[in-house]
Amino acid sequence: MAQPQAAAKQQSAVNDDEQVEKAPDTKLYEELGELARFIDTTMKTLSEFSAPVNASTEQLPQAQTHLLNLKTQTEQGTHRVMLEVEAIQDNHAQISKMLKEMTQTLQQAKVSPALIQQMQTLGQTLGQDDKRLLDIMTALSFQDLVAQSVNKLVTILDEVEHKLLQLVVVFGPYQKQAAKTDQGKASEMLKQLEATKNTSMDQDLADEILKQFGFN
Amino acid sequence: MPADPNMKILVVDDMSTMRRIVKNILKQLGFNNLEEAENGQDALTKLKADTYGFVVSDWNMPVMMGIDMLRAIRADEKLKKIPVLMVTAEAQKENLMEAVQAGVSNYVVKPFTAETMQEKINKIFK
Repeated sequence: MAQPQAAAKQQSAVNDDEQVEKAPDTKLYEELGELARFIDTTMKTLSEFSAPVNASTEQLPQAQTHLLNLKTQTEQGTHRVMLEVEAIQDNHAQISKMLKEMTQTLQQAKVSPALIQQMQTLGQTLGQDDKRLLDIMTALSFQDLVAQSVNKLVTILDEVEHKLLQLVVVFGPYQKQAAKTDQGKASEMLKQLEATKNTSMDQDLADEILKQFGFN
Repeated sequence: MPADPNMKILVVDDMSTMRRIVKNILKQLGFNNLEEAENGQDALTKLKADTYGFVVSDWNMPVMMGIDMLRAIRADEKLKKIPVLMVTAEAQKENLMEAVQAGVSNYVVKPFTAETMQEKINKIFK
């Protein structure tokens, strides 16, 4: 029994040596296989990814056009409201003038003081409405602020579109992160928009600062 | 010295709506001699060609910014005494400081009310 056991041990030792010699190759093949699968998966992912990037690049000019249309529409709408307000202001000015003349005539004719009082009350009411009309006019300045924000957004989109085109044409989607870290004009304008939210002054603060410079 | 209601006033803004608003307010305040310009360069051309008593200007405009127009006015021997009121959405402290250093007569932050504009005009022409 001792002889077969010794032979078995000898055979086992030979098999171990062969495994030791073959192990690096097996490991390499496994790693290469894994790498090939990774590359294949990545290529599939990238091919899926390039379509939305291309689509986004094509959609950006449309978004810019929509934004510029929005600006034009708000501008036209604002002018339309202003036209009506100005027409009412002109009518009010005429009515006020007529009321003054009528009041003077009534005073000269020494008619009922109650009637004259009513005429004066009418004039005061018109004056209050004129103040409201002026408030409507100034409230329409929102359009200017909207237009300025739209202009900044259009510039940002223009730059983003330019960068995306560069990525698609030159580097491919691998370089997507580059757009995030870019320090160009778009990035600067985004910062400006953010900064405006946090640090813009109201009139009171502006007046405080002006006081410090002797504006009283 | 109170503001002369007949003085010629130049309203400078690239947005037509803002020019209309400022002109409307000035009209309601009793000023009727009103002209307008679309940017700083246009304004300078008009200021050099005629006699103006007051300028109301935006800051952010194409071709020439309001702040550059203000500096050009203050550097011009003939124009330097014209009061300039900045009406602007550039509402950072740095902008205000820059305007003060450039010689602005007063500063109104958008959005504003007619009362604020009247108050500023009264202060300039007191």
